[in-house]
Amino acid sequence: MTRLTPRSYDRRVLIAMSIYIVLMICVWPLARSATDTLPKIVYALTPVVPLLYTIWLMGHRILSSDELEQRTHLIGLGVGAAVVSVFSIFVGFLGAANVFETDVTSAFLIWIFPLQMLSYAAGRRLAARHYGLGPCDDDADHMPTYVRFFFVAAVFCVVAALAYFHSGNERVTSFALGMASALACGGVYFVVRRWMRSRRSRQ
Amino acid sequence: MNNKLRELREQRGWSQGELAERLDVSRQTVNAIETSKYDPSLPLAFRIAKLFRQQIEQIFEP
Repeated sequence: MTRLTPRSYDRRVLIAMSIYIVLMICVWPLARSATDTLPKIVYALTPVVPLLYTIWLMGHRILSSDELEQRTHLIGLGVGAAVVSVFSIFVGFLGAANVFETDVTSAFLIWIFPLQMLSYAAGRRLAARHYGLGPCDDDADHMPTYVRFFFVAAVFCVVAALAYFHSGNERVTSFALGMASALACGGVYFVVRRWMRSRRSRQ
Repeated sequence: MNNKLRELREQRGWSQGELAERLDVSRQTVNAIETSKYDPSLPLAFRIAKLFRQQIEQIFEP
């Protein structure tokens, strides 16, 4: 199986997740206003397409990895599965005991995949550190973290512009601008951190 | 487990990236083996031994 370079993998995931953001903000809300069942299903499930592509990419990456990389992926997936299981059982017990006033189960279900991805990344990072593999940010093979932050910030700016000029939706515009600002701040933080590290290594 | 991988690689003038390519693993895996942070599986140890034309026990010592 052809090995995906880390940079190529990062680029593909970034594009897929950017499409996901745009679909979640611009297409998914249409499902609530649609009256017919078929368009409702199509609008509701459209954001799943980039997620399925991301899962396929992950599978391809893991299968084409070497034995040490596969081990770190396995540890990451184990951590992700454990975190998601604990989260689900907490929500399940609380829901069964009618702790929530309204049915929030579907809202929680939307967070399962992001939670799985975040905990998988954290677990994999810890495992990689254990085996002396550098963090992604320092690795020249990977796309720099600040580039990812600025890219996603730009995607949110586009969403904000679309929402403002196309539909005049102030709620979406302010949400997208807020996200873009936060991500741009994150990008600046990683630029400064990278600059300080390179300065320290030169000294 | 200690090993002589770095020594053997440097004798041949290969970079970690070049050795990784010959073994079909990542550069980081070569680095982890060289620094004894990761012990390779038996099939990979055999590939390393075959590449350097040595016995496994001549490269890896417990």
